[in-house]
Amino acid sequence: MTRKNAVPASGIRRRALLQGTGAAALTAAVAALRPSETPLAAQEGTTQVYLPLIHAGGTGTSSAPVEVVALNRMAYGPRSGDIARVREMGFPAYVEEQLNPTGDDPVADQRIADARLKLKIDDVTYERPLSSLTMSAAELWALKELSYGESTHPANEVRAATWIRAVYSRWQLREVLVEFWHNHFNVNANAYREVAMTFPLYDRIMRRHCLGNFRAFLKAVAQSVAMLYYLNNLVSRDGPANENYARELFELHGLGAEHYINDLYDNFNDVPRDDQDRPVGYIDWDVYEAARAFTGWTIANGRSIGNGADLPDTGEFTYVDSWHDNALKIVLGEFFSPNQPPLADGRRVLDLVAAHPGTARHVCYKLCRRLVADNPPEALVNAAVQTWLANLDADNQIQQTVQTILLSDAFRTTWGRKVKRPFEVAVAFLRATNADFTYGNLGWSFNSTGYQHFSWPTPTGHPDTMEYWLSTGTLLGTWRFIQTLPESWLEAAAIDLEGEMPAEVRTSRQMVNFWIARLLGRSMAANSYTLLLDHMRAAIDADDPPLSPDEPPDGFGDEAEWRQNAYRDRLKSLVFLICLSPDFMLR
Amino acid sequence: MKLTRREFMVGCSAAIAAMAGGRIGNLVFAQDSAAAAQRDILVVVFLRGGCDSLNLIAPTSDVNYVAARSSLRVTETEGLDLKNPVQATAGFKFHPAAGGLKELYDGNALAIIHACGLTNGTRSHFDAMDYIERGTPDNKNTPTGWITRMLTRMAPEGLIPAFASGSSVPDSLLNSTYAIAVGQNVQDFALRNSPSRYAERQTQILKQLYQQGDLPLHQSGLATLEAIETVQNKLPRDSEGKVIDYEPEPDAEYTEGGLSDALRRIAQIIKLDIGLQVATVDFGGWDTHDSQDRVFPDRVEELSRSLNAFYDDLAAHHGRLTVVVMSEFGRRLKENRNGGTDHGHGGLLMVLGGNVQGGRMHGTWPGLANEQLDRGVDLTVATDFRTVLSEIAIRRMATPYLSEIFPGFNNYQPLEVVTGTDLPIE
Repeated sequence: MTRKNAVPASGIRRRALLQGTGAAALTAAVAALRPSETPLAAQEGTTQVYLPLIHAGGTGTSSAPVEVVALNRMAYGPRSGDIARVREMGFPAYVEEQLNPTGDDPVADQRIADARLKLKIDDVTYERPLSSLTMSAAELWALKELSYGESTHPANEVRAATWIRAVYSRWQLREVLVEFWHNHFNVNANAYREVAMTFPLYDRIMRRHCLGNFRAFLKAVAQSVAMLYYLNNLVSRDGPANENYARELFELHGLGAEHYINDLYDNFNDVPRDDQDRPVGYIDWDVYEAARAFTGWTIANGRSIGNGADLPDTGEFTYVDSWHDNALKIVLGEFFSPNQPPLADGRRVLDLVAAHPGTARHVCYKLCRRLVADNPPEALVNAAVQTWLANLDADNQIQQTVQTILLSDAFRTTWGRKVKRPFEVAVAFLRATNADFTYGNLGWSFNSTGYQHFSWPTPTGHPDTMEYWLSTGTLLGTWRFIQTLPESWLEAAAIDLEGEMPAEVRTSRQMVNFWIARLLGRSMAANSYTLLLDHMRAAIDADDPPLSPDEPPDGFGDEAEWRQNAYRDRLKSLVFLICLSPDFMLR
Repeated sequence: MKLTRREFMVGCSAAIAAMAGGRIGNLVFAQDSAAAAQRDILVVVFLRGGCDSLNLIAPTSDVNYVAARSSLRVTETEGLDLKNPVQATAGFKFHPAAGGLKELYDGNALAIIHACGLTNGTRSHFDAMDYIERGTPDNKNTPTGWITRMLTRMAPEGLIPAFASGSSVPDSLLNSTYAIAVGQNVQDFALRNSPSRYAERQTQILKQLYQQGDLPLHQSGLATLEAIETVQNKLPRDSEGKVIDYEPEPDAEYTEGGLSDALRRIAQIIKLDIGLQVATVDFGGWDTHDSQDRVFPDRVEELSRSLNAFYDDLAAHHGRLTVVVMSEFGRRLKENRNGGTDHGHGGLLMVLGGNVQGGRMHGTWPGLANEQLDRGVDLTVATDFRTVLSEIAIRRMATPYLSEIFPGFNNYQPLEVVTGTDLPIE
């Protein structure tokens, strides 16, 4: 199976690689060069030279060229040719391009159109296209007449499409931000049939608003089937209201737990105010009152609403006036007069949360943490907050805020203060190896890494700091998953390592150089480099002395097939080692 | 070259001994190894989501309970009898699906501490878990967990001192270098055998790659690779070198499901005898805001049967086993309109083991009348969760360092839940 033609042809170019001097001499030669001054690849069509490939000191001690930083943070890692392209167009132009995605995404679209996902109905396995992705809300809602497995299948289709887009979309920043917002507004698609069934709608909300206005985003989420079911507002009505959504609106979507000051104040009158007379944080009273404001916000799902009346069964957002608590409310220090028009109370809560400086700080901190470092510099967060607050009513509020973050000095100077999460490791591996990726039977096998795509069990979304992802189970799960990805039974990815290497790449050293450049795009510690080179040049028979690094590796082009296979195994092992190494895991 | 943790520990011990002078040093180590020999294996089962304790160990005769819950309650007739209740008139009974717990309780292995929990008034899952697992009810940003700090004091030298049976380490083990997490079969705790020809060499090179730096990433990677090596060397194998599947004791009837799987892994690790001191398990699905009667009985049954099987599986280890079952909070007394219960306050804690004063309820029962409730709606916390955990830390784990494990907790009074020596509190 090969569909490489669908991939931009930039991946297949002829390259002459740096011929070896001694590793020590090379270390000395490159130590003097700052990475940003070092040409990683010369102009297209001419000889390309990779420098530096090694550096003195440990893995964590070097920085990375801005192209590598950008492609590991604004994208799911470089594809072949990406680093040269960003260098050529310039980093600011790349940011500008990525901040303005369009519908023009032919490679990803074709891959999604060609994808087939297995679905078992009554012991018969069907291979079906990802048809729910383009279904209307009414069409998706109608799926509830089908079996549980079939009706919840749309969530699996979104998972598959998300993988394919991450690997192939030219609008990488959009994919990174869609993942961010899915986690920010996390719902567990496995929690309710209706959530899984309408998950394509929820994904569309993330895509539509990922660079837009936060207030509009909040409203779309608040009125979505997914969120109304997941956090139970669907069934919230007067006496007593269900607090689940209101609680997370404050704690996770908006102001954040850092602005929950219930341990300090138990009366809203006591909460200090800022210079614009807004309370500096929220307490339980705000949650209770906001929950009352959202009573009656629900989904038309055919449920009885009393007095013999039923809601229509359309799956659309609706408001049930008889469920609404109409009495006076006090939210974030503001009085809501009784008997407001339909939806007015809830909308006002969204207005207050969206405009609150605490929300600006909470969301901007999270954006900086995602795009820059686990502990982002305070000055960067402040700059992002400033942009956010200055654009509260702008249609492109989030785009402008992200631009502030990406063009900051901090973005360029914080390499390695974050590790890739398992999804990023896996997609980066697929992109860098130019895998022919079709998703196949990938499904739940990915959960063993600890990354639970669209089924993270709590509304917090996946953790975004390394403490979590450096646990033994997660690290090992990720390593094992990378090793599993090319296996044929998974039918997910075909990788042709030899086919990726130009004909001139013949010696052990050239191969190591080629794959370090391709997979990392930056230098490796000298000791690490030597370990890889020694592995590649080792003789097939372990008792024989190693070959010269400037000879073809043992078994390369050999007539005996078993010797060729041994060489291929060593090449595969080389690529695994680089992708499992700490160098590849940094971000 | 980076030192392994073991080398590091040995190095430290020697350095401290040298600084302290031989006599004091020897004394310290003599005492420590004596303490270590007495230490239990602590297993902490965390019920994520806020377990409705009023429906698990139910005050079936309490008029306020009956009035507040039309459907989500255990009735006097359905509930399973519970001896030695903390208050006779409340009519405490087990949930009908908790037969496995009742059996452990009747055998005096299980103790119940009702109305137990976090004194901080938060009703947020995430806050409550942060406070509890960090062991600091006034600070959810404490960078280490309570078990992390306990382990630091224990300075265990076993190969796998702390084991999270799941895909990740919980916050009670936050930032602990002793902890590893295993979510798959213990046999699969290794890199994949691919490409098989170079699998072994590949693992060795990877280990060296993770020695080329000292970021947390390097340390974690190296710890992972060392743990793999340890476990693989310990697993029993047949004559062809194939790992033999784990067989629980014949009368240990684990169920299908995540909790049984996780506990079975812990039993396997305990029997491998690789120095396990603490294990943790997360068991979710308790956040029952709606249709509680559809999910709660199944959860209770899985909890009940899994713990029962685990205890049978480790029959030979009861003298060194202490199991704690806890949750972030209980749920509201009054059920909501959706057949569910919202976040509450007081919950319950259970302790199981060979040195537990079981078969009875400990602590006090605050009652459910309006003026007895927290904020007029929730079960009051009559016993601070730290009281029970401190007692276990001192008497079973020989770590009386309360000022470190639970800083700011100054009024410790044992409830007599477990037996053991009352070492002087530090």
